[in-house]
Amino acid sequence: MSEQDDNAFELRSRALFHDSVEGLDMRIRSRLTQARSAALEAAATRRPWALGWKLWTPAAGVTAAAILGVVLWMGSPLHHQAGTVADAQSSFEDLDLLASSDEGSGDALDMLQDDIDFYDFADKSANPGPAA
Amino acid sequence: MARFGTLNTAWMVWDSPAPAPEGVVLEYTRELEKFLAEIERRAFRMAQVALRDADDALDVVQDAMLKLTRSYASRPSAEWRPLFYRILENGIRDLQRRRTVRKRVMTWLPGPKEDPDSEAQDPLENVADAAPAIPERLMQAQAMEQLEQSLRALPARQREAFMLRNFEGMDVAETASAMACSEGSVKTHYSRAVHALRDQLGEVW
Repeated sequence: MSEQDDNAFELRSRALFHDSVEGLDMRIRSRLTQARSAALEAAATRRPWALGWKLWTPAAGVTAAAILGVVLWMGSPLHHQAGTVADAQSSFEDLDLLASSDEGSGDALDMLQDDIDFYDFADKSANPGPAA
Repeated sequence: MARFGTLNTAWMVWDSPAPAPEGVVLEYTRELEKFLAEIERRAFRMAQVALRDADDALDVVQDAMLKLTRSYASRPSAEWRPLFYRILENGIRDLQRRRTVRKRVMTWLPGPKEDPDSEAQDPLENVADAAPAIPERLMQAQAMEQLEQSLRALPARQREAFMLRNFEGMDVAETASAMACSEGSVKTHYSRAVHALRDQLGEVW
């Protein structure tokens, strides 16, 4: 099959198809026109609402984010207490002390060990068990 | 009057507090209408070739029109054609799937195996035309019928590529966009379709 034959086939099939399109009866043409009108009408009635929604969504998102930001800021300790930056700094220092005691003196571990001994003692006092 | 590239621009104007000039809105409604009017008959015939049923073809064309105008009319007008045909082809495939399922169900059900959706044949369809058929027209109609049968026998993607490239006159890029595949795939599908059709129809056709 040559390329020329392919071209002739393509031309013929196209011509036949277009003849068949031109030969469509009035019933089909009329129904296609009705379908087109219905589609355009549907689009026209939907447009303002749809576009309004599209325009308002980003604006509403930005507003909601702004309100949330204000609420969080108003509720935070930073807003309620004056000199809060210094307080926050002292809290960090407390944490630092704890951390350093873990690393250096081992006070915290001793304290934990004391607690375990105490709980062991309390458990034995509550349940004395059979005398040896 | 300055022309806008898309219908979306017209809608922006339409939706703005200051109402758009009626002429601008009308112009873009006309643009969409012109596009649909220009494409609808070919789209219908393509759907009819694939579905073998005029009413089903009308339904899928109408659905495609509605979806395009509702969801994609804001796209640049150059994109309408591939988008429309993609929607149309999806509609055709959905309908074919539903038919397959319905056929399977019908084979399991007792009673007549007729399709419940099929309507009684219109007696007027059997009435011969008063004017004698012109032999040439008759031969053309027969040739088209043969072509349609051969097209239905093709795999869906090959049929789609052939109809979009040959019947609709789309270029490779536009066809690739409509078929949601690469340009290379379009060329392959199209070439296979042409050879398969020629094999089926023979040299005489």
